[in-house]
Formats: sequence, C-alpha cells, structure tokens
Amino acid sequence: MNTMNISPCSHRHTDSHMHSHKAPHDRSHRHKPGHSHRHKPGHSHDSLSIDQLAFQSGLSHVNPGFKVAFSVLALIFLLAADNLAISLLVFASMCYLTVIKGGVSGHSYISLLAIPLLFAVVTVLTIALDFSLSPAGEYHLHLFFFYVYTSRAALWKAFCLFCKVFSAVSCMYFMSLSTPVNEIICVLQQCRLPSLITELMNMIYRFIFILLEVQQKMSISARSRLGYVDARTSLRTFGSIGSNLFIVSMKRANHYYDALLARCYDGQLNFLSEEKPLSRKTVLYAVLYFAALIILLTVLKIYYH
Amino acid sequence: MNRKEKNLLALCSVAALTAAAAPVANAMHIMEGMLPPAYCIMWGVLCIPFIAAGFMKINRTLAENRKLVVILAMAGAYAFILSALKIPSVTGSCSHMTGTGLCAILFGPCVTAIIGTIVLLFQAILLAHGGLTTLGANIFSMAIAGPLLSWLIYKLLKKAPVPRYVSVFLAAALGDLFTYCVTSFELSLAYPAAEGGFAASMTEFLSIFAVTQIPLAVIEGLITVVVIMGLESFAAGDLINLGFMAKKEVSHE
Repeated sequence: MNTMNISPCSHRHTDSHMHSHKAPHDRSHRHKPGHSHRHKPGHSHDSLSIDQLAFQSGLSHVNPGFKVAFSVLALIFLLAADNLAISLLVFASMCYLTVIKGGVSGHSYISLLAIPLLFAVVTVLTIALDFSLSPAGEYHLHLFFFYVYTSRAALWKAFCLFCKVFSAVSCMYFMSLSTPVNEIICVLQQCRLPSLITELMNMIYRFIFILLEVQQKMSISARSRLGYVDARTSLRTFGSIGSNLFIVSMKRANHYYDALLARCYDGQLNFLSEEKPLSRKTVLYAVLYFAALIILLTVLKIYYH
Repeated sequence: MNRKEKNLLALCSVAALTAAAAPVANAMHIMEGMLPPAYCIMWGVLCIPFIAAGFMKINRTLAENRKLVVILAMAGAYAFILSALKIPSVTGSCSHMTGTGLCAILFGPCVTAIIGTIVLLFQAILLAHGGLTTLGANIFSMAIAGPLLSWLIYKLLKKAPVPRYVSVFLAAALGDLFTYCVTSFELSLAYPAAEGGFAASMTEFLSIFAVTQIPLAVIEGLITVVVIMGLESFAAGDLINLGFMAKKEVSHE
C-alpha cells in the first residue's frame, strides 16, 4: 500500500520524509517510477501541464516569495493603471520572462494562452456589442426583430479590455509557470494564512494527483468496455466514475489518516522547504521595472491630458 | 442585402456565437483581469463572512474529530478532479462540471465555501480557469451563492414528499444555474451597457451564456444523481458518517 505521500514532521525520520517539497509527484508515485505525467508535458493529461512546466522552470532558483509578490504587484498595477500601453508592455515583459528566462517553450506557452482566448473574445464582444429594438450607435446590424449595434468608442474600449485581460493572464502565468504550487503554499504560510487552510491546500494538492491517476485508470477500463459509445452511455459512465472516484477517495482518506497517525500527526504538517535566497540584483531589476512602468504611466497621463 | 441574405447572416452569427460560447462553459469562471480593482475588492470583501463562518465551523468539528481534515482534503481534490474533467459529448469539448453542488449536498454550505475557495485557487493556478484578482468574484458565485442555493433546495425538498433523486437533481441543476446568473450579474455590474445600463447588459450576458449553461445545468444535475445513486449502493456507511443518510433508510433497502 502506498501511503507515503503525506509526510508529517516528526523529529525522528527527518531525512527520509522531509524533502517532499521538491517533487511531490515523485513521492506520490514512488511505487511507479517515471509515471506518465513527469515526461511528455501536455500529453498524458493536458489539464495539468502548467504544474509540470512549473517544476521544469528555469526560474525555479529564484525566491518564490519574490516571484509571487512580483506577479501580484504587476497584476495590481496593471489593473489600477488601466492603460493600453502599460498592458502591452507588461504583456511583453511577462512573455519575455516566462519564455526566455523561464524556458517554457513558445509552443506550449501559446497553447496555454489559447485556453482563455475564446472566453475572452466572447465576454469582450458581449461588452462591446449592445442589442436594441431601434437602430442606434455608429455601426448596427439588423437581425430579425432587433439590432446589434456598437460604436467606435465601445470597440476601442473592448480592445483595451482584451489587451488588459491578456496581460493579466500573462502575469498569472508568470507566477504559475515559475513557481510550483507547494512553494506558493509556503509563501501563503509566510503571509500568516491560518495553518488549517495551508494544511488543507497541501493535502488537496497531493490528493489531486492520486485521484487523477485513479480516474484515468477507470476511464481507460470504461473505454475498453464501450463505456463511451454514445452520449447516453458516456453520461452514465461519467457519473459512475464520479461515484466510484468518491468511494475510492473516501477509502484512501481513511488509509492516509492512519498513516498520518502512525507518524505522530498532531494537527500540524511541517515541510522542509528549500532555502532560496533573494539576490540583490533581482530586487534591483524589479524595482527598476516598476519605476519604469510608473514613469511611463505618468508621462502618458501628462502627455494626453 | 436582401431578406434571404440577412436571415442567412443572422443564422450564421447565431451559430458562430453558439460555437464560440461552447468552450466558454468553463463552469463560468470570470477570467483574470476582467474586473476593475474596485469590483475585485468588493466581491472579495463580500466573501469574507462566509469563509470565516466555514473556517470556524471546520475548526469546531476538527476539535472533535481530527480525521475530518483528511476527508475534507479528499473532498476538495475530488471536487477539483470533477471540475477538471471534460464532460463527454456535450455542446463543446470543454464543458466542465462545477461539482460544488455535490459538495454542498454532502458537506453543507460552510464547508463548501472553504473547500471551494481552495479549489478555485488551484483552478486558477493549475488550469488557468479564473484568476487571482477575480478570485473573490468567482468564490462568491461558485463557492458561496450556487452551493448555498443547492443546499437550501436539498434541505427544503428533503421534508417535502419528493423522491430523493428528484431533489438531488433539482439542487444540483438549480445551483448550477444560479451560479451562472450570479456570474452574469457580476459581469454586467462591472460593465453596464451604454444604453439601458445594468439591466440591458444583464439580459445580454444571461441570454448569451444561457446557450451552454442551461443544457450544462441539466447535465450536471443528471450526473450528480448518478453519483449519489452510486454512493448509496456502495458507500452507505460513508454517507451515514457524513449525515447524508439516516441509518433506517439503509436498513430497509
């Protein structure tokens, strides 16, 4: 039975159980070396490719607190500034940091950016276009009994919003593609988030991979029994897998609790996190970056008003 | 353009909108950067009392039973997986369940608020569904409003002479629909239409997203019923522990 993926700290088995912060996958799948989601990013399960890329990032040596703070500050600045030039600049710089510095391949970065693309297009179009029963606005199109109309100003605003959304997404990607989740949780812990929450987060993060593996096995065996032949059957299969997965998850939760108790669990999970010192040069670059953004914003404000 | 051409164009645009709206059915997350800062803060602040209530509830239960933390973590991972799986052969290839209705029925709304918050954060980080600044708005619609309604409906119908599966279906489906209404509300509050203001843009968002969200809500309801049916036949013990089923209901089955 593989019950080793939770490693509560107890003083006795420090070396064997406490370096789990580096690679939780290895630990959760120890019984199966080289499990599919370690290599071939984006193939085995598409949906979690961000997680794989974060572990391979070229920026993994940088202090995680710094990376989180940098992307969140950039995000807030971007939203507060609400300026097209700032959006484009932030987008370009985040792309540079993620692709050139972080070493994420251009192809996977673009396919990740495509995830929110359609949603962005539809939402922005809904904001740009308006419906009315009488002709209005600068451009309108008569459909059946109503008019779809828009104006140049609305279109421009929608374009700016679109750019802002993508630059915000690139900020978020900078964080999630350079900082593995367990390091983000560590940062949250340093921000004094209650330990109950961080503990839940750590466990959920680990359990996700366990359940994902179980789910994949179930869906393969369902497929081999024609579980997805038509819409009706596939819905039933989907639901059955859902309930089976819940049963498995509850069973495993019992096992893991026993495993925790066996390791002197007293309501506190302690992990040894790798020390990643913050270099002065990195901080200087970040300060210069934000200074440049602020100067640009003020210049633009003065110039246009 | 003559009449025929116009009708053709109208049909095409409706088809295009439907096709484009299909992948939108990412269980209606508001994406990163979509909301102005004031709205991000407002929705975030609105969530605090619910999250605090959930936190205190969990803390209190934990004092009695430590094991709950592992069960809750599993439930969170389960909700995450359920929401990350593509529902087969529905409108687009990218429709997902919210899974929070099921969580609310099984664990109650307070716990769902906490679990949902963590799951939404992971969805933003690992799947790029939703975002960090829009986390507050997404928590409010998907982890608080929807589950709260699901739970209320389930509790109310439990007392009425309705078969359990019907009440589970209604709870999950209506909770899902309510989530989408709240999301539309959040979006149209931030972006009112030039003419007609908030009401106009609300109807617009509601009608555009309805294309995918109404079938999805029905499917979510059906899947939840199948899940509950499976649980009742194989995991009655767990359900009794969770307070979902009474002991006597099992004995006569």
